[in-house]
Amino acid sequence: MIVKLISFFGSRTCSYGAAIADFSSFIMSIVNSFKYLKKVRFRTYYEVIINQTIFTGVNALIIVASIALLAGGTVIIQALTSLPKFGVEGFLGNLLVIIIARELGPLLTALIVISRSGSAIATEISVQKWSKEILSMELIGIDTRLFIVLPRVIASVISICGLIIIFDIVAFLGGYLISQTVVYISLDQFGQTLINAFTFKDIGAAFLKGTLFGITIPVICCYYGLKPVSKFEIPIYVSKAVMRTLFVTIILNIMVSIMFYV
Amino acid sequence: MTRKLLELKNISYKAKSGIHLDNLSFDIMHGESTLIFGPEESGISELFDIIIKVTKDYEGEVFYKDKNIGQFRHQELLEYKKDIGYVHGNYGLLSNMTVKQNIALPLDYHTDLSEEEVEIFVETVAVLLKLTHCLDERPFDLTASEILRTAFARSIVLDPDLLYIEHAFENHCRMNIKVIIEFLRERSLRNDKSLILINYSPENYIDLVDKYIMLYDGRIVFQGTTENFLSTDNPYVVQYKKNSLEGPIVIS
Repeated sequence: MIVKLISFFGSRTCSYGAAIADFSSFIMSIVNSFKYLKKVRFRTYYEVIINQTIFTGVNALIIVASIALLAGGTVIIQALTSLPKFGVEGFLGNLLVIIIARELGPLLTALIVISRSGSAIATEISVQKWSKEILSMELIGIDTRLFIVLPRVIASVISICGLIIIFDIVAFLGGYLISQTVVYISLDQFGQTLINAFTFKDIGAAFLKGTLFGITIPVICCYYGLKPVSKFEIPIYVSKAVMRTLFVTIILNIMVSIMFYV
Repeated sequence: MTRKLLELKNISYKAKSGIHLDNLSFDIMHGESTLIFGPEESGISELFDIIIKVTKDYEGEVFYKDKNIGQFRHQELLEYKKDIGYVHGNYGLLSNMTVKQNIALPLDYHTDLSEEEVEIFVETVAVLLKLTHCLDERPFDLTASEILRTAFARSIVLDPDLLYIEHAFENHCRMNIKVIIEFLRERSLRNDKSLILINYSPENYIDLVDKYIMLYDGRIVFQGTTENFLSTDNPYVVQYKKNSLEGPIVIS
């Protein structure tokens, strides 16, 4: 029994080790490709960047705004009804900034992008690999590491940072409007508490999170997208891409919060 | 036709599938058109991966224009791949791009031609290969021969010195791909452009190629000119031509 357990955990550790080494070599190959960035003609990248930004950013606006509205409304209603009970209603702005701007905005935006675009990136690339489109690009002399990953990273950073701003604005304003159905608070008072609570640190943290999520989501999804060697493996790796990106995103979110606020 | 364009020297390789290459050596000269044939699992499919260094764990050396490709670094390898036009049986057209974008991709990526110049270039190739009617369509809207012609157009826009066509003409009516064959015939007259054609029907291309190589069990069992191919009594070639199961070729 003990031998079996040791063997099980040993093999799991080895496979995690091998996976981390493989991912590291993928990252290194991208970094190596960056050395030749000056030889790249960016006109071939523009269309991919624009298409990816439209899909990841513009097309996600409605769902991000809807979720922001609901999340903002819930937080504001809870805050406005609960804070007075503890006599700390003056901290409304701080609480909103802490919950919505610092944590919910970046994290929920990232989750939406992972579920929409992350899965789409992994699926698109694995299908392209299976149908030998990626091989064809390599045979044209295209550096596929850069051609596939770089435009998606640029589009993703732009989209996520933009979506976080929109999420926060909709969550605050929409949430305020929803809260009016439960309790009354004037817009001036609401706005002033928010302005007082916001610091540059919050804005910096949100943008850092947006940038890190914008890099990690496409990179991990591209990595898993390039993994399948048969059609049968495509859904397996797409699922892995989504779950592992989710996990890494939450870890990154915590790390940035610790870095800025602890 | 005196200088070597591509040289494979003592290539030995064993794939995980068990298919192997056994001390394989041959040259492709500038301006030479070569057809490589042989039954399945003879090692032909492994050749291209070795030539473009996708497979690295082989013994021997590959030289392209007198340079050892084993010593190519990342950027040199990309430049080298650019110099080889490749069309394979799966075609590999980018499904999220139109025919025009697929053909223009190598030009956009590798050249400094302006957008207008690229467009003119693409239209010229499209006229040549009878693709003008479907330039704005995506691959899933095309017929099989249109897909092949688009993949072929993409492989020739950079005017590569070596064109490598691997099982791309199988399953196509010769009439539908006549424009490609005509293009290859004209190209074969140039003494600076070479062709490697991989095909299961070598007798269909006697008017197109100068040299035949037959592989079996990872070895070259026949190598000669078109005349040699037509008149040889090599038992491997004879059995292959006859489509017979009796002879030195054992089909498992």
